[in-house]
Amino acid sequence: MSPSVQATDWVNKYGDILYNYTLKRVSDKGLAEDLVQDTFLSAWKSRDTYKSEASEKTWLFAICKNKIIDHYRKKSTSNVQYAEVDTSSNFFDEAEHWTREDQPNEWGINYHQPVETKEFYGILDFCKKKLQEMQQSVFVMKYMDDLSAEEICKVLNISSSNYWVLIHRAKLQLRKCLELNWINS
Amino acid sequence: MSLLNISCKKATYLISKKEQGKISLFDRLTLWLHLGICSLCKRFEKQTGFIIKQAKHTHTEEKLSEEAKERISKVLDSSY
Ligand SMILES: [Zn+2]
Repeated sequence: MSPSVQATDWVNKYGDILYNYTLKRVSDKGLAEDLVQDTFLSAWKSRDTYKSEASEKTWLFAICKNKIIDHYRKKSTSNVQYAEVDTSSNFFDEAEHWTREDQPNEWGINYHQPVETKEFYGILDFCKKKLQEMQQSVFVMKYMDDLSAEEICKVLNISSSNYWVLIHRAKLQLRKCLELNWINS
Repeated sequence: MSLLNISCKKATYLISKKEQGKISLFDRLTLWLHLGICSLCKRFEKQTGFIIKQAKHTHTEEKLSEEAKERISKVLDSSY
């Protein structure tokens, strides 16, 4: 990066996309701003050592991703109660069959056809944020950041069986939430 | 025979393992048998598969506020 670069130019150029990226992964705007600021600060301090083998944008995103993972890591060690997940859900009865109120209903859509509406993404975002924090972390890391199950377990300091329970719960809840807010609305 | 019978709860759990390629051959068989007779779990598989595909591209655009941009710029400028 050229040494003449101005902090303001940089923030104006990348601020929104980094913020947008971060906000989808944490549930709080203030926190997202802090993480973006940390990202810029780390990048700014090491801008002289940065060599343009990767694009500036890729480099910033890599730093940002690490900041978010650090945040999750701190969270998971300070809030031990997250490791314990309620597995006795209401989704299934004693025989572990679907309960009538939680069973998947027909959506009447083409599942192979992607939906591009802002409305859908608004609801998905809302439903994601309604997940318990650990479920949300696992879901985002797996399905949006494409991390492996092993990496996720290491970062969040959870066992593999815990991971599968969290994934399972996250999907049950997201599916139900989307059905309520998107299909039935 | 009961060894091959799994509950809906177990089946939905195994669907994620299958989707991530982490399912044993035996579990794959029991899941396959279950999905052959259970339309609800079959539906669950389709719908959650759809959600995952959708989650990959997220479209809500939020902007960093002007105040935040200004604040961050100042922090950077004063960091040396
Ligand atoms: Zn079933």
